[in-house]
Amino acid sequence: MTPPSRTSYRTVVVGAGIVGLFTAHHLARSGAGPILVVDRGFLSSGASGRNGGGVRQQWENRATIRLARESVEAYRRFGREFGFNIWFRQGGYLFLAENARELDRLRTVHDLVRSEGLASEVLDPGGVAALVDGIAPEAVVGGTYLRTDGTLYPFPAVWGVYEAARSVGAEVALGVDAKGVSVRDGRVAGVVTSEGTVTAASVVNAAGGWSGDFSRAAGLSVPNVATRHEILATEPLKPFLNPMVVRTSDGLYFSQTMRGEIVGGLTVPHPTGTQGGAPSSIAFLGAMARALAGLIPRLGALGVLRAWSGFYDDTPDGFPVVGEDPRLPGFVHANGFGGHGFMLAPAASRRVARAVLGEGVDLDPQLFSPARFTTPAPASAIEGLQLG
Amino acid sequence: MTEGSPRRFEYDGSPGAAQPGETLLTALARERLPILQRSVRYHRPRGPFCGIGQCTGCLVRVNGRPNVRACRYVPKDGDRATSEHAWPSVRFDALGLLDVVFPNGVDNLHGLRRPAFFTGFYQRVVRGLAGYHEPPSDAAAAALKAPVEERNVEVLVIGAGASGRSAAARLVARGLRPLLLDRGLAPQPVPGADLLAGTTVTFLPPASPGRDPPFDALAFTEPGRGVRVRARSVIIATGSYDATLLFGGNDRPGIVTADGALTLTGRGRLPPFRRAVVVGGGERAREVVERLGPHIQAVVAPGEIPPELVRAASDRGIRLYPRSMILSANGRRRVRSLELKARGSGPRFSLPCDAVVLAHRRLPNGPLFFQAGAKMVWRSGTGAYYPDVSEDGATSVPGLYAVGSAAGVLPSSSTESAARAADRIVGGTPDPRPLPRVSDSGRNELEGYYRELLRVPRSGRWIACACEDVLFEEVVTANASGYRGIEVVKRYTGLGTGLCQGRYCLPDALLVLSLLEGRSAPEVGYITQRPPTVPMPIAALAALSGSLTMETP
Repeated sequence: MTPPSRTSYRTVVVGAGIVGLFTAHHLARSGAGPILVVDRGFLSSGASGRNGGGVRQQWENRATIRLARESVEAYRRFGREFGFNIWFRQGGYLFLAENARELDRLRTVHDLVRSEGLASEVLDPGGVAALVDGIAPEAVVGGTYLRTDGTLYPFPAVWGVYEAARSVGAEVALGVDAKGVSVRDGRVAGVVTSEGTVTAASVVNAAGGWSGDFSRAAGLSVPNVATRHEILATEPLKPFLNPMVVRTSDGLYFSQTMRGEIVGGLTVPHPTGTQGGAPSSIAFLGAMARALAGLIPRLGALGVLRAWSGFYDDTPDGFPVVGEDPRLPGFVHANGFGGHGFMLAPAASRRVARAVLGEGVDLDPQLFSPARFTTPAPASAIEGLQLG
Repeated sequence: MTEGSPRRFEYDGSPGAAQPGETLLTALARERLPILQRSVRYHRPRGPFCGIGQCTGCLVRVNGRPNVRACRYVPKDGDRATSEHAWPSVRFDALGLLDVVFPNGVDNLHGLRRPAFFTGFYQRVVRGLAGYHEPPSDAAAAALKAPVEERNVEVLVIGAGASGRSAAARLVARGLRPLLLDRGLAPQPVPGADLLAGTTVTFLPPASPGRDPPFDALAFTEPGRGVRVRARSVIIATGSYDATLLFGGNDRPGIVTADGALTLTGRGRLPPFRRAVVVGGGERAREVVERLGPHIQAVVAPGEIPPELVRAASDRGIRLYPRSMILSANGRRRVRSLELKARGSGPRFSLPCDAVVLAHRRLPNGPLFFQAGAKMVWRSGTGAYYPDVSEDGATSVPGLYAVGSAAGVLPSSSTESAARAADRIVGGTPDPRPLPRVSDSGRNELEGYYRELLRVPRSGRWIACACEDVLFEEVVTANASGYRGIEVVKRYTGLGTGLCQGRYCLPDALLVLSLLEGRSAPEVGYITQRPPTVPMPIAALAALSGSLTMETP
C-alpha cells in the first residue's frame, strides 16, 4: 500500500487501469497537476491485467470505429513513445458467420468499416480456412477479416503508461480504495479514500467493473453493470494461427499469443456485480472446450493451462460513458467500456482529459455522454458488437 | 507388471524399448540423465528434473500429441516420440547460441522495438521461437475422445501415499467404500477401496451447501479421460514435493529433485548417475542417502547436519559439507561440478559430480486447498501456506479434510492424522491432542541462506523460473524498478506463468522478494492458484455435460 503523499490535488483519478493511467498521463503532461491516481488493488489487478489483448476496428457504429482506429495508431507508436514493447501484432481480426443471417450482419459492419477507409474483406469458407488452419469443414459459411486489427500484450502497456504518467508528475497510490466523494456547493470537492479524504476539484471515475459502485457511492444513479467474463490459456504451441478469431453466436474469441498460448473466452451467464469475486467456473471450461474442439478438432489434444476471470463494465447501449456528469460538476466518467477498455483507451482517455480540463470533447453526446441516461429521450443507437 | 516383452518405440528416429509399465522417461534415462528438452527462450539444455509430471524438463511430442511429459507416459508398441523445440537435435541445438549471444538475457519488455520497420521481423522471429511443439494432429485429438466417467461416492480420498492409504483403510474398516485417486501410474491399492490410478484432480470447487452431495470435483485419468466425482466428504492427502534452489546454472541437466531421483530409480533400476551430490540436511536428504547411497559421493547442506544423517552418510563413505552455499553448477551442457562456498567467511571449493539431488526442502502440494476455498496459514518452517486445520484434519470448509504432509503434519504422525480424519467422517470423536507439525514461528532456514548468498557476486545463469526461462536478474530488475509484490512481479517477468503453475519458482521467489522488499513473505503475497491444477486436455473438458455449476473461489 502506498498512501497519497499530499492532502490536496487538482484531479483524482479512480482506477489505475489502462484508462485511468492514460488519462492521468494526458492530464499531467498538460500541466494540470497535481494528479493522484488511486486503485484498490495492485497494478494490473483489474481488467487491464485480465483481458485477451485484442484491438479491433470492426464495429457497428462509425464513432466506435474512429475511436478504435485512433487507438490502433496509438498502439503502433506505443513502443517508441512509452519505451515498452507491447508486442502489438497486426494479425487481423476474423469474424466468423455460422449462417446467412450472421453473414449479413457482418457484411453490414464490413460496408461501414470500408466506408471509413479500412480494408475489410468478406471471406468465403475457403478464405476462412486459409486463415484458421485445421478448422472443421462446414463450420462456417464465411466471415469478415480486417488485417490491421491485432493483439497486444497488456502488461507492458500498463507498465509503460504507469511509468510515463509518473515521470510527468502524476502520483499513483496503490492499495487505496476510493469510497466516495465529498461535495461542496453542488460540485466535487474531494475524494474519500481508505487513507482519508483528499481535496480535489475533479474526480475521474475510471474504476472499470467497480465504476458503477463508485458512481452510486457518489450519489449518482448510473446504469453500469459489472458482468463477470471468463478466459483461459492453453499450453503453448508453435505459431499456427495469425488472427484473433471471433464468433458472433456465442461470443467465442481466441488468438495465439506471442508466447504460443491460445488465449480466449466465450460468454457464459453469471450473476452480475463484483461481490462474488472473480472465480473460474467449470461451466465455462466445458463450454469453451466444446467450442474450441468443435471449431478446430485437433485442439482436443491440447491442455488447458489456466483459467481466470474479470469484470466487464457494461452499459445498456454498448457505448462507453465519457464526459462530465451534468448532475455533479467535477465528476467525470471514463467507464462503461463493456470489456473493450483496453482497445479504446488511448483515444477515449484523450477525450476524458479534455472533459476534465473543461475543453470541448469531439464525441457525439447522444452516444457517449453520461447525460444520455438521464434525459427522457430514448437511446439513438446501439453498439451491438460486444464480443472479442 | 515385469512380465511380457518390451514395448518398442521410436524417439527422435532412434529405436527404444521400455519394459511393460515403465515410463518413457525411465526408458530414456537408463545410463545417465539425458538431455530431452531445450528451454523456451534461450534454448538451454534441459533434462528430467521433477519426475512427478510438473516441470517442463521431459516434454515430448508423442504420436502427434504435444507437451506430453515423458515421466507420465507409458509407451506402447509403435509409439513415435519426438523433441521439436531444437535444431537439428536437442543434444546439439544451433539455437543454443541464443544463450551465448545474450549473456544478460533478451529484454522483451523494453527491447526489440527499434527500428520501427523491423517490428514485423522481430515478431516473426520471437513468435517462431515460442512454444515447444507443433499443434496436435487430428488423430491425437480423436484418440482422446471418450465420455466422462462419473462417480458418486461417500468419501473421496485424493492421494494414495502413506496418509491417503491409511485414511482409506480406516474408512474401509468402518464399513465405507471410499474412492482413492492418485496421480501415480501404479499406486499401491487398498483392499476394499476403489482406486483410480494416473488420475489428477484438477478442480475442487468449494462445497455447495445446497447440493447433495456437496462436493463436485473434476479429474482426468491419463492419457486424458475426464472423471467427475461427487462426494459427501473429501480427504486431501496430496503430500509434499521437493523444492528447487537458486544458484548459477540451477537448470542444468543432471540437477534433479529428490522426487526425480527416486522416480528414476527403484523397481530394480539403478539411478542414472554414479557420483551425485545431495543437497539438504534433513529427513529427505537422509532418505535419499539411504536409498541411493552407493551412487552418492557428498552431502551439502545449507545449515548444520544432524547426527542421524552424519551417521547414515559416514556408514556409506559419503563426505559431508555442512553450512555450505551452492554458487553455481558448471559443465558444458550437463552438470560436471558444483562451485561451493562455506558459509560465513569460509573458502570456496568445487566438487566434481554427475548429478545434483535437491532434497533440502519439502513443500506441501496445496493448490486444491486454495481452489476449495479453505482458509490457509503461513508456516515459516518450510516457508509455505498450509490449510488451517483442527487436530482431526477438518479445514474451514465443512466436509473437507487435510491429512499428512499436505496439512503440515510431520511424517512420523501422518498415519495418525489420516486415522483421525477418517474417524471424524464416520462420526467418531478423534483424539484431540496436537499432532507434530511444521513450525509456524521463527524463520525459514533459507531466508538467512539467501540473504548471505545474494551478497556473493553471482556467476552463471540463475534461472528463477525454468518453465518460462525467467532469469533471476529479471526479478532483481523488477524490484529495482519499483514493481512490488509477487502478483506484480509475476506479471512483470512472466515468472510462475508456465506449465508447472509456479510450483517450483514461486516459493523461492517469495523468499527472495521478501528480502529485496524488506517485508515478510505473506506481505509479498501469494499468486492466486488458477485452475486447473495441471494442464487438462481440451477433449476431456469438452466431454463434460452441459449443466455445470461448480466454481472455484
